[in-house]
Amino acid sequence: MKPSVTITKGSSGWGGPLTVYETETRKVVASVTGGSIHPLAEKIASLLGVPVVDAFNNKVEPDTIIIAVVDCGGTLRCGVYPKMGVKTIDIHPISPSGPLSKYIKEDNFVSGTTLDCITQSGEAVPSEPEVSGQAVPEPAEIKESSPASGGNQFFNFITSMGRGIGSIVNVFYQAGRDTLDIVLKNILPFMIFVSIMVGIINYTGIGDLLANAIKPLAGSLPGLLGLSVFCAIPFLSPVLGPGAVIAQVVGVLLGVEIGKGTIPIAYSLPALFAINSQVGCDFVPVALTLAEAEDDTVSAGVPAMLFTRLVTGPAAVLVAYLLSFGLYS
Amino acid sequence: MNVFVKLAEGFTGIVSAGGENLMGLITGILPNLLILLTCINAIITLVGEDRVMNFSKKLTRFRLLRYTLLPVISLFFLTNPMCYTMGRFVEEDQKPAFIDACFSFAHPITGLFPHGNAGELFVWTGIAAGITKLGYSTMPLAVRYLLAGVIVIFIRGNATEFLTKKIMAKNKGGAAK
Repeated sequence: MKPSVTITKGSSGWGGPLTVYETETRKVVASVTGGSIHPLAEKIASLLGVPVVDAFNNKVEPDTIIIAVVDCGGTLRCGVYPKMGVKTIDIHPISPSGPLSKYIKEDNFVSGTTLDCITQSGEAVPSEPEVSGQAVPEPAEIKESSPASGGNQFFNFITSMGRGIGSIVNVFYQAGRDTLDIVLKNILPFMIFVSIMVGIINYTGIGDLLANAIKPLAGSLPGLLGLSVFCAIPFLSPVLGPGAVIAQVVGVLLGVEIGKGTIPIAYSLPALFAINSQVGCDFVPVALTLAEAEDDTVSAGVPAMLFTRLVTGPAAVLVAYLLSFGLYS
Repeated sequence: MNVFVKLAEGFTGIVSAGGENLMGLITGILPNLLILLTCINAIITLVGEDRVMNFSKKLTRFRLLRYTLLPVISLFFLTNPMCYTMGRFVEEDQKPAFIDACFSFAHPITGLFPHGNAGELFVWTGIAAGITKLGYSTMPLAVRYLLAGVIVIFIRGNATEFLTKKIMAKNKGGAAK
């Protein structure tokens, strides 16, 4: 039986896991990383018992590639191979992007991969020792052919330095992409919503009405304590929680009133806690699942959290009140 | 006819007041936010999740750190909502308490480090806008928000741990009968 290899994504990567093996037509691992053959490609090839080719210096027919290893920062190469129907590993942790992003799917692409992410799949056990014994000289052969492009130590140093700089640049590039993603999907839509709300409050007379209603609540310590208990009432808090939308809207309202001077500026800190004593109450079971809690823990933990908030809600307002002494005075 | 003119004027007024506010947000907050989020996202990738996980495992044994430093690190490095996965390193009956501490820090962190919960910024930004309007810096408030947050999550963590244990003991007693 032919050996197969499973490749998973790295800690901040995307896609996969992919399982690859040699077929009738696909017989090589391609390294498209520039300079020399990437250790990832070498490891996969040796586990599969197939040759590895430096596709940067040698032309390789896409139809013959089992899997391609690329070091693309998220523009072209990461999409080119998936588009040609070749499974691809990107050593940089990128998510689908670039003009060809629509071809990048979880079943043909995995990124952020490190050497630890590569495991040999079970079916290869009998032939494994033989295969790895055979495979070692093969990558070496190919490597001998690449020194034609200058395989001395100096060249290697330049390559590895270039790769180092490249990977740091790519980290920032991807970070920028992630940032823009959340700005477009979450932050800007909320900014627009808030602006409409502020527009209505400022232009119509509603602002003054609201001010009269909010002032006794948010403009005094007992009012804030009452607000925090109200938000923490166990059957209300899960309703007030989702997406923190209520807390955010009230935050904006209070901000407008603080800006007008209706609410004393020193109350901004306790107010931040008073309007948010319901935080997370809608999300407890999901969060506990993420924390791999058992059913018993969930059934005890949910009421425990909801009920303690009745006490810890106002407690937070008190702490914030004490910490606000000397703020902006 | 006059009524329609008044209505139209009123509507345009609301639109332009809203547009002015949006312009302020986009030119004022957004550029800094983009740079800050990008830098911190990059730092998090460079530090690596594995290292954060390994370090965090060591913190879970100490009550003081479990409900202060651990949620802070979780939110800073893993951000909302992945921070809750860190809960798998704490004892079973402490998980709800740890989750409570994370929840309660999800907004105090946004004053200084908006990346921690970038989808829910306006609890902080809403109130901070009032401070800015009065001509003060929001930094003193942001620092105190963070400090108060740490104290609050310590209180909430301990309170929830206490009640979780009580309820669990009671549930077990009921099952035994």
